[in-house]
Amino acid sequence: MAEIKLDVFRYDEGVDAVPHRDLVTVDLPETTTVLDALEAAKAQVDGSISFRRSCRSAICGSCSMNINGVTALACKTPCNTVTNENGTISVDPMPNFQPMKDLVVHMDPFWDKYTRLKPYLQPADRDGDHDRERRVSPEDMKKLVDVANCIMCATCYALCPVVSVDPAFAGPAAIAYAYRFIEDVRDGQRDQRIAQISEDYLWLCAHCYACSYCPKHVDPHDRIVDVKRAAIKDRVMMNERGPRHAMVVSKTIKQTGMLAETEVILGTVGRFNIVGLLKAAPLGLRMAARGKMPPPFVKPIPKVDEVRTIFESLEVPVS
Amino acid sequence: MTTLLPENRAVDSHARSKSAEMRKYGFFPGCVAKESCKELFNSTMLLADALGIELVELTAASCCGASVVNDTNRDIARVLNARTYAQAEALGLDDVITICSTCTGHMRAANKELLGSPEQLGQANAILGKFGAAYNGTVRVRHLLWLLIDDIGLDNLRKMVVRPLNGLKVAPFYGCHIIRPESVNGWESARNPHSLEDVIAAIGGEPVDYAGKTRCCGFHIQLEKENVAANMVGQNMRMAKDHGAEAVITPCPLCHLALDGYQQDAAARWGRTDLPTFHLPQLVAFALGVPTDRLGLNKHLIDPRTIMVERDLIS
Repeated sequence: MAEIKLDVFRYDEGVDAVPHRDLVTVDLPETTTVLDALEAAKAQVDGSISFRRSCRSAICGSCSMNINGVTALACKTPCNTVTNENGTISVDPMPNFQPMKDLVVHMDPFWDKYTRLKPYLQPADRDGDHDRERRVSPEDMKKLVDVANCIMCATCYALCPVVSVDPAFAGPAAIAYAYRFIEDVRDGQRDQRIAQISEDYLWLCAHCYACSYCPKHVDPHDRIVDVKRAAIKDRVMMNERGPRHAMVVSKTIKQTGMLAETEVILGTVGRFNIVGLLKAAPLGLRMAARGKMPPPFVKPIPKVDEVRTIFESLEVPVS
Repeated sequence: MTTLLPENRAVDSHARSKSAEMRKYGFFPGCVAKESCKELFNSTMLLADALGIELVELTAASCCGASVVNDTNRDIARVLNARTYAQAEALGLDDVITICSTCTGHMRAANKELLGSPEQLGQANAILGKFGAAYNGTVRVRHLLWLLIDDIGLDNLRKMVVRPLNGLKVAPFYGCHIIRPESVNGWESARNPHSLEDVIAAIGGEPVDYAGKTRCCGFHIQLEKENVAANMVGQNMRMAKDHGAEAVITPCPLCHLALDGYQQDAAARWGRTDLPTFHLPQLVAFALGVPTDRLGLNKHLIDPRTIMVERDLIS
């Protein structure tokens, strides 16, 4: 048995002006999960400690919280892997959410982003013949099984640095779940779904891989990239900045071998978007004053024709 | 926490690296060090001289794809990098050294796919063969930061210091793609890395610990929606400043552009931080005695020389 010291965030939105912390000690084997330690603390020490939990085995997705500053499922985190240098385990509510009581947060913004997806199959022949199966080949189904493992625990949403400064961003989980329907051969709303998730800032993913800590290995980042590719393949909302950026970067690499910074800025913001360019101008001027402007034209690398050969060999004709 | 690290370190083992033995490496500077952050390129070459290693620039190498080519076509991003590795092999070099976190992550991801899949290596070589090139899968991609620790060694680095930083409080800023995903990088824990801290301490600085050090600078979405990247910069630099940082060091020129460029725009929401940001090779080269006026510090928007004068590092 070991003395497990939980340093618990305490707050009741209806009562407290500011949060405080309680140090709660329980005697349990050191391999106990953080969730079991919290359960023991609630049962033996302070019944008012609040947290969400149900299955205790990483299936229900209820108990995601910050454990020593790292967002994770409490039921999947053994105490002896996370104890601080000072011998305690700090537990806090998930970041990017409004705390409600102790470790319980308001989940509404997260659910709202799912609701906007219409997260159910919408077959093209919805009112047609219901006597026959809608069959999916094993290869087509294989694309969906990983992402169907999402338990909506919101760990990725809590870890997402873009959500933390711009709550309008759909977040990793919702985009990964959009992929689940976009790539489902039975669904009839593919392009409408791509358009909807594009409007919810699909292209605002910063490629930071914070969501690579998904406890169910859904890897939302790679699914976000898949949805972007689907958007480009289907030519959905191609005049937005994100797709324009992706296209112009590839174009400059094909032409010069290099990512030509000036051309990429003009191509993304829009060469004739005077307002957009003026907004980017102050930083540009500050950089110019320091002799730090990217060159207006980039000299092609030696043997740039080899790069063009690579592009021409692999470019998929646009459908 | 992770079990990946020992395995990945074995994959990157230098026992069989010819480059490390010869102290002669393939060098992939990346686009930004050749365009808007030329001071990074120059200070890297000066640092290499000071360290007594040779960086052979792969002058015909293309962009790594910078995560953006991947958004449209994974195969193109992979084969572009295979072409770069073929160039290193043709020069007899089996280490490719990068100076950008994004290059590191994307080149390692491409290499992992090429080495892990005969089909993908075959696809790459079928295309490379059209212009007489081939990739045999002998290259490994590492960041200069890892070379400093693995090939030079922190003890040796410490001994080479002639201008210690006098306890300058330096906040490390890693840049996502040098640590995440761990399945691609794995050189150290992505959640609790300490390579930059170790280098800061070795050159006489005091590393600052803060949660923002492993977070994202927002560079890749700076053109996507106004102020989002600036706010990500402000959030992280606020944390660094509140933990006592006097300056920031980063192994990534994309992070550098964002941190150096956007603190001013972020001040409205996050308060003024004005933390000068060093490229990794700049600060190490300074400690190793490279003349300050050759490091391009005058190119930074937030001039690092101010704090260096205050802390008696330069006059």
